[in-house]
Amino acid sequence: MKKRWLIVAGLTLLGGVLAEVPGVVAGNWAQGPLGLILQPAPATPGGGTVYKVGAYPLYTAELADGEGKELVMSYCSICHSVTYITMQPPLANWKPTMDKMLKTYGGEKFIPPDVAEKILAYLQAHYTPETRKE
Amino acid sequence: MKGKVDRRKLLKLLGAGGFLLASRPALAQTSAQAEEALPSFTGPQANPYWNGVHPYAVYPQKLPLLRMTDRPVQLETPRHYFRTPFTPNEAFYVRYHLDEIPNEIDLSQWRLKLEGNFERPVELSFEDLIRKFKPVSIAAVNQCSGNSRSRFQPRVSGGQWGNGAMGNALWTGVRLKDLLDYAGVKPGTVQIQFEGLDRGKGPENLGSGRFIKSLDLDDPVIEETILAYLMNGEPLPMLNGFPVRLVVPGKFATYWLKHVTWIRALTEPDKNFWMATAYKVPDTPNGSTTPEAFASGQVKTVPIGHFNMPVRSFIIDPDGSYPLVAGLPAKIRGIAFSGHGKVVKVEVSTDNGQTWRPALLGPDYGKYSFRTFEYTWRPTEPGKHVLAVRATDEKGNVQPDSGVWNPGGYLWNKIERQEVVVLAAK
Ligand code: HEC
Repeated sequence: MKKRWLIVAGLTLLGGVLAEVPGVVAGNWAQGPLGLILQPAPATPGGGTVYKVGAYPLYTAELADGEGKELVMSYCSICHSVTYITMQPPLANWKPTMDKMLKTYGGEKFIPPDVAEKILAYLQAHYTPETRKE
Repeated sequence: MKGKVDRRKLLKLLGAGGFLLASRPALAQTSAQAEEALPSFTGPQANPYWNGVHPYAVYPQKLPLLRMTDRPVQLETPRHYFRTPFTPNEAFYVRYHLDEIPNEIDLSQWRLKLEGNFERPVELSFEDLIRKFKPVSIAAVNQCSGNSRSRFQPRVSGGQWGNGAMGNALWTGVRLKDLLDYAGVKPGTVQIQFEGLDRGKGPENLGSGRFIKSLDLDDPVIEETILAYLMNGEPLPMLNGFPVRLVVPGKFATYWLKHVTWIRALTEPDKNFWMATAYKVPDTPNGSTTPEAFASGQVKTVPIGHFNMPVRSFIIDPDGSYPLVAGLPAKIRGIAFSGHGKVVKVEVSTDNGQTWRPALLGPDYGKYSFRTFEYTWRPTEPGKHVLAVRATDEKGNVQPDSGVWNPGGYLWNKIERQEVVVLAAK
């Protein structure tokens, strides 16, 4: 990893110094931060009357580390992925959202009250305007 | 020994390189690699960016789009795809509520069912829909009720869309009215209910199990509604509702059900969660209220279907990611639409909304379509400038310069602004 940075630094230098016109900077390169995305292969049409697209990919967001993270990852990913949590703006109070999940959407069928309490504590500890980091 | 010296030297140079990189102007947003990535979230202030701050991701039949949530799938269309009046299918946004989304549909078994209060309940194959009924086409904007929700102040929970939860397509299919006549709506019918193939893991009778919407039978929009099997002349992508989706011109996309498989004639108003509880807006002229009034419990709400989409317009270019040059013409381009009728005027301001000039309107593809506009500006003053755009529809509705607020995060149509930097050409 370090080595790669050294090479990048070298190229950066060359770019800066070799420019012949004052004010022009050229030839800078840096390691791209993005992954490469492969092109899809041509679709294999289903048999005769079947329209299919294959499995949908998951790109689930990483949750903040802390007590209760595993509980959130298992219980709050039953109906949807936990990306629903990181997608929110930092919410001062997660209680209304928890109530909505448990009562309105019937989450209490899956989530025992003591677990729900720990999940609420985790969300307050990592996803409010004061506590949210990433 | 030698390596050590080199390293020290190089570290120094790395510092210099870092400085040079930082002083270069930002690359265009449309380029494959951003020089600096957007933050992973915004708030508690409003999201200041045109799109939401979601990363790009690839889904079947789609170009890389902005992944708001991965399961259920919610993808936002990046800004630059709105340069054209019709949004490409492979860039068209996606919004699901539930995570059991069809991966595969066998057309030899799939049937559209009309049931409930009809003279003769019917089942129609995809072929029946294509062959037995006269095809009609309409250009219409599909916009999520919560498009631009991330602009709300104070912020509200729900999908944190930027402006890209919308798209315009030429939809071709069967008139809903023709289907209803075919099955024969019996007297006493008050609403027509729609359900698609998507299902959720929650209990059957709750919003987390099924997604169902209904339209009043006497709503004039029933006359214009179609069940589309073509989108911009091609079969619908799976994630946009293959084989057929409802097209409800002028109304928000919550009514445009995907994978429609059941059409039911109801004799009682639909009380399901997605009609009675979700997608409700304050019963005020613009659907706006205040957090205080709402908290007091005094605000009466109605289904968002009582509203047509308010008039909106968007600056697509310039997008602020590249500088303009003093003395050179800059084309300010974008799109406008209204759920109330044809857009008749788009005005552009280059001084943050103090003075307005009419823009040139693009071709008219019908009253529910995007309409492009263009205005050529020749900036003379270097520095920062704020552009703004405002549309007026044929009913005389004009975009306001204030944002609405309601707890669902619906009906945003504030005048859009774009800050640009003009370079001196000396
Ligand atoms: C019984 C199913 C179910 C469970 C379990 C569940 N949710 Fe949800 N959740 C939903 C549904 C349905 C939605 C609405 C999805 C949509 O409209 O896209 C939702 C939406 C959300 C949203 C978006 C904001 C909003 O208010 O709609 C957040 C945040 C959220 N859930 C967090 C959680 C958390 C945290 C947990 C774990 C305690 C959880 N959910 C467990 C069903 C569930």
